[in-house]
Amino acid sequence: MNAVSDHLSIDVLLDYWLHDSDPATTDAVDEHLMRCDACGELLDGLIALGEGVRGVFTAGAVPAMASDAFVQHLKGQGLRVREYRVPHNGSVNCAVAPEDDLLVAHLEAPLQGVERLDALAQLSIAPDVQHRLQDIPFDPQAGEALYILKTAEMKQLPDHTAQFTLLAVHPGGTKELGRYTFHHQGVAGTAVDRAR
Amino acid sequence: MQALDAAATDSPEVQAARRIAGAAPGEAREAEAELYRLLAPRARRYGLRHLRDAHAAADLMQQVMGLTIERLRSGRLREPERVLSFVLGACRLTVMDQRRGERRREDLLQRYADLLSPADLHVAPRLDRQRLADCLERLPERERSVLVMSFYDDQPSEEVGRQLGLSAGNVRVIRHRGVDKLRRCVDAGRRAA
Repeated sequence: MNAVSDHLSIDVLLDYWLHDSDPATTDAVDEHLMRCDACGELLDGLIALGEGVRGVFTAGAVPAMASDAFVQHLKGQGLRVREYRVPHNGSVNCAVAPEDDLLVAHLEAPLQGVERLDALAQLSIAPDVQHRLQDIPFDPQAGEALYILKTAEMKQLPDHTAQFTLLAVHPGGTKELGRYTFHHQGVAGTAVDRAR
Repeated sequence: MQALDAAATDSPEVQAARRIAGAAPGEAREAEAELYRLLAPRARRYGLRHLRDAHAAADLMQQVMGLTIERLRSGRLREPERVLSFVLGACRLTVMDQRRGERRREDLLQRYADLLSPADLHVAPRLDRQRLADCLERLPERERSVLVMSFYDDQPSEEVGRQLGLSAGNVRVIRHRGVDKLRRCVDAGRRAA
């Protein structure tokens, strides 16, 4: 183990790994890592963390709000993505097939002027439980909030209805932006075939 | 790269390089193994960062270490105390070569195959996938989204921000906060196990 007194911060290493450092800083970090194993091992940990995040996400083990460009990128890389577009205040019949990697819901909504967006989610199979997703990221220009579901869990669920409500949050309170209903068919069948 | 050499005047890497250079070719096997143990992981990291492919990074590591040891054995690396800057320079040239599609490393890989064993390299511990998923799910939506979109394809903050309607600076702040929480959560699980 080589001892170096001036270690790099995790921010510098994150910027370095994710192409956010300028060329001069990248060269300086390259040089530092050539003599400092402590920082190298910290970077190894970040790389492993990144690989882990990628792994659990593509396994459908975690949900995420994302963008349409990101979903198209996933499809371009060969992931099997099943998408449902739900009109403003609309509903859709949906399902997930065993071979699907990710299940995506496009919730069309008037997002112009919205500063903060929350969502409420409720399933008919657990009517007493309401999940609130707070401060979800969105692009106001996109005209939709895009939700990548916890697909691995969805594959295990029986027939049910899920309701999503988008809320615009302002300093004075909240305003309902739209309500979306998913009629989910638990066993892959005709709904899957129709969605393709 | 002078600072790199100045900081390593009497480091274990330089000592090993001197022993290799001072011995008859191939007679300083222990020093060669020591140099490999010290520098190969660093060359591999360089390859990971600049080539973004684990196999290509492993190839780069083997090629650079083979070249370094060959130069030390033959006396063509005249200043063993500059071994760190030599390795970094070789990494940079190799990446440029690979980007140009040149393939001239097979000979080195074959000649030093017995010496260049990656068996004892430091590798980051594997993460508990279930624990990581739980920790990731506990993050606020914004942090989770930014981490997923950043790490899925190692995207810079500007690209992630463009897709989420955020500034690059804001993405970096959210990313930092998310990574910090995620590391703490995963580490806490590892300690508890």
